[in-house]
Amino acid sequence: MTQTVEGSEQAGGQLPPVGPLPPYDPEFDAGLAAMQAQGFLPPPLTSAEQIPVLRAWMTQAFAVTDDELARNGAYTLEERQVPGPAGAPEITLLIVRPAAADTATPVIYHTHGGGMVVGGRRDGVPGMLDLAEPSGAAVVSVEYRLAPEHPHPAPVEDCYAGLKWTAEHAGELGLDADRIVIAGASAGGGLAAATALLARDEGGPALLGQMLICPMLDDRNDTASARQSYDKGTWSGLGNHVGWTALLGERKGSADLSPVASASRATDLSGLPPALLDVGSAEVFRSETVAYAERIWQAGGVAELHVWPGGFHGYDMFVPQSPVSQGTVRARRDWLGRLLSS
Amino acid sequence: MRELTGRLAGLDPDAGAALQVIAYFDRLVDARAGLESVVRGAAVLSASPAWLHAPSRHLDLRVTPDGMRHDHPGVPAPDWCHVDIDEAGTLWLERPGPAGPVEAMILERAALAARAVTARTRPRRPSRRELLEVLLDAGAPEADRRYAARGLGLSPDVRARVTATPGGRLDILQQDSEPEPSERVGVGPPARPLKLAATVEAAQAAARFTAAGTASDPGPRVVYAENLGVLLVLTKPGLMQQSLPDVDALERASIAAPWMLATLDALARNASHRAAATALNIHHSTLQERVTQAERHLGWALHDVDGQMRLATALMARRIRQAT
Repeated sequence: MTQTVEGSEQAGGQLPPVGPLPPYDPEFDAGLAAMQAQGFLPPPLTSAEQIPVLRAWMTQAFAVTDDELARNGAYTLEERQVPGPAGAPEITLLIVRPAAADTATPVIYHTHGGGMVVGGRRDGVPGMLDLAEPSGAAVVSVEYRLAPEHPHPAPVEDCYAGLKWTAEHAGELGLDADRIVIAGASAGGGLAAATALLARDEGGPALLGQMLICPMLDDRNDTASARQSYDKGTWSGLGNHVGWTALLGERKGSADLSPVASASRATDLSGLPPALLDVGSAEVFRSETVAYAERIWQAGGVAELHVWPGGFHGYDMFVPQSPVSQGTVRARRDWLGRLLSS
Repeated sequence: MRELTGRLAGLDPDAGAALQVIAYFDRLVDARAGLESVVRGAAVLSASPAWLHAPSRHLDLRVTPDGMRHDHPGVPAPDWCHVDIDEAGTLWLERPGPAGPVEAMILERAALAARAVTARTRPRRPSRRELLEVLLDAGAPEADRRYAARGLGLSPDVRARVTATPGGRLDILQQDSEPEPSERVGVGPPARPLKLAATVEAAQAAARFTAAGTASDPGPRVVYAENLGVLLVLTKPGLMQQSLPDVDALERASIAAPWMLATLDALARNASHRAAATALNIHHSTLQERVTQAERHLGWALHDVDGQMRLATALMARRIRQAT
């Protein structure tokens, strides 16, 4: 059964033609092929039925021990059950703090990735610790409810509730409430952007910055790069369709969808904290990431955008040794360093 | 997540690791990766630092298993396992002991990939012109000039000469050879191949003393720098730009009669008027008439050595000035 390409003529849309997906960096190409051959890549998400398979894969692929998180005692780990949104269950925060800190530390408030349908609070934390380490920052990672069991607004409201609690209790945790940077990759990037919008509109908490890593911003999923990646890569346009549908159901693609559900829908991008956006040139989220940065600038805001050549979705995690991956991490560190010393 | 890529490094020899290694390097080459990517592949797959050491090519490329480039000032230890890429370079894996089956496979396929990359990126056999350019470039490294000399068939202890046309085209003359009859060149002093670059300036200066050798532009088509001696200083930049009344007079004389320049050139280059007349293939008395006319335009006498020297110098100065 062929899938209808969103926005295509079959679907009733009129979209300009696009060329093929830009080529992968040679080392990414070889690395991906090697990992595919050994079965290390995520199973493709072709339908909602595949979500449990992807969840199982995520659990074993991202498994990390407490010792690994603590990095030989450099960090202390703590979990807190904190109030969720009104009328919703409590949420769990994983708090990872530098053991040797004697003053209030900056905080990376982390929203994990996983297409809105998979993943947990421990996933992606090692990467965040790599970024936090040079500036002695702590990492707080939120366990938000997942779609399809918990559709929008559950995930973003959980993220926001966790952020509010972190800011309010920063003092007792040894964290600096004036230096909270929200960060997330993929769906986590989309949730970070949406939480930043919520924080602005609700009058707080104040965020020092937002780090949006290959963010999942646009439920319409009809951009050029989404079409170019329809059936390719570690997170394809089709997988994206499944994720957004799980989150929004019938509301997906609707004209009046709230920006908090899909940050690309926001018409007002003014008054947001400085943003770092990065994305690969050969992945599904390229177009919407570039567009979001441009619209921040159009609103007079502060943003830094990096589009890395030949990068597929999640390249820096899968092939960290490549110079493109190293440059990506360096750029994130540099941005964070500048932000925290400003 | 780190474990995923770590597993790439811990290839099990019994579980198709060889195929993985082959496929990895093949894809790198297909995707037109560079040498550093090949060395990185060797480092990541073998979980040890990989070092491409090619001193004669001024190439030293070392990558650690985390993918970072960490060049080393020293040299590889001879007991590390290694493979020769080509006669110029070797790839080493920094680990003690002989290569196991996986390391051997990694080295072999990395070497193949490195050769493919080098063949793709190395320019085709350099042309004579390209070799000349390097040989005669004083700023080029000695190793490159030695390579160029070999390519041009110049033996290191045999002398050659640089030739330069007035237009700036350089070439070399083998020892004891002469320029082609049709050539108009300045010829530099003899020198061994590595010293030729330093003689280019002399050859170019000598070229400015040459002439087309025609009636309207009489003079030698070939000038040897070493025969000029002190005259070479006439080519010092800016020197001929100053006011030179003799050259102006020569210009005025040259347009006065069609035979003027050729006659003056013969007078300058022959020991006697009689010899000059013979060279011009005219009667001695005809020559005397011409001399009288010429003296009127020039403003100095041509019957003695001083006048001849003054004429010769003015002719040379005029040629140099025209060549500027």
